[in-house]
Amino acid sequence: MSYLLTCPVCGKRNGYEFRFGGEERGPRPDEKDLTPQSWLEWAHLRENVGGPQKEWWCHQQGCGLWFTTWRNTLTNHETPPEEGKS
Amino acid sequence: MFAMKRLWNRPTQKSAYDTVIIGGGLHGLAAAYYLARDHGLTDVAVIDRRYIGFGGAGRNTAIVRANQRTQENVHLYNEGLKLWPELTRELDFNLMFYNCGNLNLVHSEAGLGAFRMNVATAQFCGVKSELLDAKGCKEVVPQLDISDRLKFPIYGGMYHPPGGTIRHDALVWGLAKGAAKKGVHILQQTEVMDIGVDKGRVTSVRTDKGVINARRVLIAAGGYSTLLCRMVGILLPIHVLTIQAMVSQPMKPFLHHVVSSGTYHAYCHQSLKGELVTGSHMDPWPNYTTRVTARYIKHQAEALTEMMPCLKGLKFMRIWSGLADMTPDMAPIMDGNTQVENLFYDAGWGYFGFKSAPIAGRYMAKWIATGQRPDILSPFGLERYREARLQGETSTPINYGPWD
Ligand SMILES: Cc1cc2nc3c(=O)[nH]c(=O)nc-3n(C[C@H](O)[C@H](O)[C@H](O)COP(=O)(O)OP(=O)(O)OC[C@H]3O[C@@H](n4cnc5c(N)ncnc54)[C@H](O)[C@@H]3O)c2cc1C
Ligand SMILES: [Zn+2]
Repeated sequence: MSYLLTCPVCGKRNGYEFRFGGEERGPRPDEKDLTPQSWLEWAHLRENVGGPQKEWWCHQQGCGLWFTTWRNTLTNHETPPEEGKS
Repeated sequence: MFAMKRLWNRPTQKSAYDTVIIGGGLHGLAAAYYLARDHGLTDVAVIDRRYIGFGGAGRNTAIVRANQRTQENVHLYNEGLKLWPELTRELDFNLMFYNCGNLNLVHSEAGLGAFRMNVATAQFCGVKSELLDAKGCKEVVPQLDISDRLKFPIYGGMYHPPGGTIRHDALVWGLAKGAAKKGVHILQQTEVMDIGVDKGRVTSVRTDKGVINARRVLIAAGGYSTLLCRMVGILLPIHVLTIQAMVSQPMKPFLHHVVSSGTYHAYCHQSLKGELVTGSHMDPWPNYTTRVTARYIKHQAEALTEMMPCLKGLKFMRIWSGLADMTPDMAPIMDGNTQVENLFYDAGWGYFGFKSAPIAGRYMAKWIATGQRPDILSPFGLERYREARLQGETSTPINYGPWD
């Protein structure tokens, strides 16, 4: 079964129209005081949540919008934010 | 009449083991087998949430090879490749090693240039691997269309005779049988829910069937390793993607090599049952499902019939998917005894961890039993990402996933 995702502009669309943009993980750390550890954490390490997670998507083959949404990684279904609130 | 004989028994879960291995995939079973065989450590449990072989161990396309890009990887995989005949004898189980060789196609001068590096590495490490031009490829696999009719005409290839395929289920059963015979407990349908740590040291695992105390724990849960490592606060540089594979109806033997093309995102080989086994596509968003999509059946049919027009009309029989835990440098992460004392993990094997399972298990067992990290594993620690010493495996396959 194909994965459906809701674009805030275009509505429910086929998941393959979108490009995944990663977990939402806050802003890029300040260059000042950057350590190898803090860079590692930001650049490479991922939460890899099994369950609802807030993440970035781009409607690449549609309107081009970047947006955040909630998805359950165990089911591949969109989750309403109130359910997914962590 | 045949009498039913179990390959491994159903042990009663004890309240404590010296070593607990989480994940009854090939890496976990191999580690257990070698802990018992090489180190006399038999007070070991392999725990699986579902059944052994549920994960990548039973879902892979069974390809083995040792033609990676970097020396560190080639050494490890090459030792692994040499294990098949030995393991078949030792486990007294026919692993059906089919040493048919692998042909990787390229479709541009640049592609051939990249493979030139792989071939140089292989030859330096004493592994047979050579470059072929398009005509040479057709001599190896006569079904290939090397005309310029193709969207991406075949420009050449890398031919690696030592590779081939193994019956993956046989390896699961053989290792389980071998480990159980030496006294290892295989506990199926038992899920690890949490890992106990006291004063920085691992103490136990909590399962849905009770707590098991353990002096040492190895996480070898394939694509699920990220979830288990998270239980003790270890984050990994991994994206867990689903990769799909499929088989066609069976045919008479016609294809005698593994053929692959990174440009077409497709590889295939003919199983000993006659089916064309093919795969390669991943859904580029992390998830822990095993969903399949019609999209890739269509893609696979297009790619394969373009490269090998004789496959037109062939019907697919089955499609399935499994998890591929992808690291940024397409090399695994084998580490332990760092963040948490006596806790080890063997993960990040993406779509290439079948072939390496026995050898990785053997070295992880050595590390766990002796407390000393074997030299061959030292390039694979998690610290390489902090030290910006990523391995160079990305040049070979297409760089899938959200990071490109
Ligand atoms: C479609 C596909 C094709 C592939 N093709 C190839 C190939 O041709 N060549 C190659 O070298 N590699 C290939 N691979 C990759 C290879 O299959 C994996 O890298 C390898 O199987 C992973 O190691 P494993 O066998 O130990 O893990 P798995 O077999 O995935 O074992 C993990 C086990 O852990 C268990 N588990 C998970 N969570 C828990 C928990 N909480 N408690 C207890 N148990 C748990 C699971 O049930 C599972 O049985 C492919 C993978 C896929 C999906
Ligand atoms: Zn849109």
